[in-house]
Amino acid sequence: MRLLRRALAERRVAWSGGVLLALALAAAAAPAIAGLLGVHAQTVDLYHRLAAPSLAHPLGTDELGRDLLLRLLEGGRISLLVGIVAALAAAGLGTAIGLVAGYRGGRVDAALMRLTDGIIALPLLPLLVVLAAIDLGKLGIPAALAQSEAASLYRIIVLVALVGWTTVARLVRGATLSLRSRDFVRAAVALGARPRRVVLVHILPNLASPIIVATTLSVGQVILLESVLSFLGLGIEPPLPSWGNMLTGAQETVGFAPQLALYPGLLIFVTVIACNFLGDGLQDLLDPQAHVS
Amino acid sequence: MARFVLLRLLQTLLVLAIMSFVIYGLIGLMPGDPINLMLAADPHLTSADVARLKALYGLDQPLLKRYIAWAGAALSGNFGYSRLYATTAIAALAPRLANTALLMGLSFVLSLALALPLGALAARRPGSALDLCANLLSFAGISVPPFWLALMLILVFAVALGWLPPGGIATIGDGGILDRAWHLVLPVSVLTLASIGTYLRYMRAGMIEALRQDYVRTARAKGASEARVLWGHALRNALIPVITVVALSFGSLFSGALVTETMFAYPGMGKLIYDAILGNDFNVALAGLLFATLLVLLSNLAADIAYAAADPRISLR
Amino acid sequence: MLAAALSATALASPAGELSIGITQFPSTLNPDIDLMAAKSYVLAMTRRPITTYDASWHLVCMLCTELPTVANGLAVPFDLPGGRRGIRVTYTLQPNARWGDGVPLTSEDVRFTWQVGREPQSGLANSELYRRITAVEIKDDKTFTLVMNKLDYDYAAINDLEVLPEHLERAAAADPANYRIHTLYDTNPTNPGLYFGPYRISEVSPGSHIVLERNPTWWGKPPAFRRIVVWTVENTAALEANLLAGGLDMVAGELGFSLDQALAFERRHGDRFRVLYKPSLGYEHVDLNLDNPILADKRVRQALLYAVDRAAISRELFAGRQPVADSFVSPLDWVFTGDVPRYPYDPAKARALLEAAGWHAEGRGVRRDAAGRPLVLALATTAGNRVRELIEQVLQSQWQQVGIETRLKNLPPRVLFGDNLVKRQFTMALYAWISSPENDPRSVLRSDEIPSAANGFNGENFTGFRDAEADHLIDAIEIELDRDRRATLWHRLEALYAEKLPALPLFFRADAYVLPKWLHGVVPTGHQYPTTLWIEDWRVVGRTSGS
Repeated sequence: MRLLRRALAERRVAWSGGVLLALALAAAAAPAIAGLLGVHAQTVDLYHRLAAPSLAHPLGTDELGRDLLLRLLEGGRISLLVGIVAALAAAGLGTAIGLVAGYRGGRVDAALMRLTDGIIALPLLPLLVVLAAIDLGKLGIPAALAQSEAASLYRIIVLVALVGWTTVARLVRGATLSLRSRDFVRAAVALGARPRRVVLVHILPNLASPIIVATTLSVGQVILLESVLSFLGLGIEPPLPSWGNMLTGAQETVGFAPQLALYPGLLIFVTVIACNFLGDGLQDLLDPQAHVS
Repeated sequence: MARFVLLRLLQTLLVLAIMSFVIYGLIGLMPGDPINLMLAADPHLTSADVARLKALYGLDQPLLKRYIAWAGAALSGNFGYSRLYATTAIAALAPRLANTALLMGLSFVLSLALALPLGALAARRPGSALDLCANLLSFAGISVPPFWLALMLILVFAVALGWLPPGGIATIGDGGILDRAWHLVLPVSVLTLASIGTYLRYMRAGMIEALRQDYVRTARAKGASEARVLWGHALRNALIPVITVVALSFGSLFSGALVTETMFAYPGMGKLIYDAILGNDFNVALAGLLFATLLVLLSNLAADIAYAAADPRISLR
Repeated sequence: MLAAALSATALASPAGELSIGITQFPSTLNPDIDLMAAKSYVLAMTRRPITTYDASWHLVCMLCTELPTVANGLAVPFDLPGGRRGIRVTYTLQPNARWGDGVPLTSEDVRFTWQVGREPQSGLANSELYRRITAVEIKDDKTFTLVMNKLDYDYAAINDLEVLPEHLERAAAADPANYRIHTLYDTNPTNPGLYFGPYRISEVSPGSHIVLERNPTWWGKPPAFRRIVVWTVENTAALEANLLAGGLDMVAGELGFSLDQALAFERRHGDRFRVLYKPSLGYEHVDLNLDNPILADKRVRQALLYAVDRAAISRELFAGRQPVADSFVSPLDWVFTGDVPRYPYDPAKARALLEAAGWHAEGRGVRRDAAGRPLVLALATTAGNRVRELIEQVLQSQWQQVGIETRLKNLPPRVLFGDNLVKRQFTMALYAWISSPENDPRSVLRSDEIPSAANGFNGENFTGFRDAEADHLIDAIEIELDRDRRATLWHRLEALYAEKLPALPLFFRADAYVLPKWLHGVVPTGHQYPTTLWIEDWRVVGRTSGS
């Protein structure tokens, strides 16, 4: 039974890991492919708008004559990059919170878990819309930074990390709680080790599995959040392509250019489902005792 | 029990008050102000007019003072005047609330009605074809970008096949029950498909866990029928984590409704909040956001009460 | 498919009724508070302004009987202390004008409106007109004289003085600070006494639709339709679906499909509907902040314009429907001249100009000056406007071809028109003015109208254009009453604008009207005053019932 599950889990991990790797490689190869095709993702070609697939443009062109395949790959690069960085940031925050909650227990734990549940329960999107719409200048951020191209990237990473840490926090807390009662930890405490040492040296390394699983699961969540915000025009702004913002105008052209709506969303779907399968499979593989959470 | 509920209600009010201040402050950080929008639309408007109108709308006072004024009015039921809809904020919200309630309610019921039985049945035969389907459906549900799903459904059913309308709440000139139902099909489908995934996973996992327990083996050994085992014992216990998850999902249901309403031009509260934020109608945005938060907090409370009622092992602190 | 076919026959407007689709719902129905296209579209069916511009862009009387001119003696200039001149203009109202509840429309209503407008707290948007009028002298019930303290060439145009019914609105206006909350136009919009045009509003469903019925007190030509319903459908796909299903008869050009949506619609359904394209006064352009050291050099500005193939954009993106702009005055305006410096697409010339300005090319990359600084400019536009975002990206791409790197920044309209433009924080800004025929460019081009901290950010000269000759021309135009002499001044100003290039002229926007084949008489105007001002001229020709 266990062997069967391990085998199944491994297949899930293998397949989804493979898909993600392929996507990442393709996205990273975007510049090379651009060179091969001889076009640039931003090159506007007014005379070949909405062209059908051809040798020069394997997937056709978009409404400004830009090569669709390249835009998808470039968009993938940015979406994946933002997804991973934001997920890592969220993981960092979530690990810290989960550790403190699980280790300290008692009222600190209760308060932090209430906070976590509170954030999970909030109507996130409307609040994110407000957060994304605020003027960075009013926060005291210098205008040069606030209006630079990178600003929209930083902003979306910060926003997503601010709300995406909950998955990691809960998993880490659960794992910390069970680790805390293990013998080697109790031994260390009995020997007089300071809490910080106990946490950093004994507990944290053993949290690797739950953290990896939680981070993988949250990458998918993060990519979905980024794509919704970009779709609404509040995330990554054009001309920087992202799968989300490539869909922003798609509703108006869906009647005569459905491919512009199909591909970006399909890629988001495939990426996120692969992340979820991967995380799920890893969980079964590394940490079969943990509950689905 | 009563003490517990009272305590939680007070906590809820506290959280609401804190949220109101936070949101008010955030909205104060939004750039520009509505008067300048009028500047663009009117070729004869001078900047002296702009300054005059700014003072008129009270936009030149410091934040804390404005918040206290707003809070005072809000406590007596006055949420201010809506700049975009030329009526009070509450009057702008009320009709949209009904629409969103309908949308969310239908999706909620439908997704539970589909997810719970499916999850339970899938748990009975892990690894079967049904289980694989359920698994796939649940993964798809939590992975699909809801706005893309809406786009694809519009593409297939409205544009290509022409079976369903691409948006709106009713056909112009109609508005009867059948017509409104026809317009609800796509939005409800999108919202249902998006939420079904989570419920399915938890139901299935909870059921598997419950079926593994000793009391199930005991019940089977005592000769209870399979149906009684499944629906009587296991289900009740499987439902406990599901209740928690379901109640906690109100927030994401609302977020999903916002995207769905925007995609289908469905006049609901989510779309209202979105339009109000981007249109600088602060009063409506604030009132709407607070209402949504209140709704979610109340559902959390309901979850806790239901959880405690369902599981006799939990004692309410 | 069956359902769609069934609904098509079931929902076609019954005879005598017209269903119009627009994409916004008015935020207020008071004619004098804020200027929303949706509101003026609907209200134009229920009221008439005293004067307005018609489809040929001539000033005409609607509520008045004769335009006052110096020649016919109804306009009398007089001297003011300080060497300025004012003017007294006399109007006579239509003798049969009555409010929908039977009360005659009189000069008292005009005076009342003026009093409300002058009240600083009443929230009426355009107060310049009310400040200009220093007194309203009533001769009799239908005749009154306005005493103005400024003498401009358009002295007779009081288009924005929308008359309010004194007998109904006096109560609401008694508390000016809350007038906009108490006005009957919003609290009781179906009161017939608020309207005097061919129709009155009989039902308002906020956010959804407005129903208009014939007004029995209307003095003019009887309108063709018994009932008109204006539906707000924000989603253009749903707009199209309802149009095809028969729920809507037409889509207003002022607030309907975007140009490329209309073009696509016409390709697919041109047999069932007629699509009219009318260039409008929407002047799409790129404002250049002349205080930016890079843009201060005229050669760079000219290079920016030479590097853009505006004709190709117009042809490919807009099927040639949006004419290329060479200066800020529309070709349909009577003071327009084509005799201005032109900048046809010439990337070689652009490169030469940039080189001459000190920006040297390094292969295909961005140009740099002697100190090694790159030629980078920021371009902002209104977020959410798909067409502008497309144009922005085309501009970026074409400028890149000549070695200019452009950073794009999309801002919500409230931000762009807020701090970004008013506080002159932009480098380049792509947006549109909407103006009226022969609109005085004082606030946009005169050197004392540059908003700054010193003057409390007054004025709309966002580019910071300072030119003595332009100032002189603007002053002269304002007081020149002779049309021919004025035209000469205008032509010189347009040429000066095209020569100095404080902004890059792009296009004049076109509106697309989608009409059923059986509806005649709809004449797009091209300016801010809507087609519905002539709703009594719309008529049904050759329509079979149930089609």
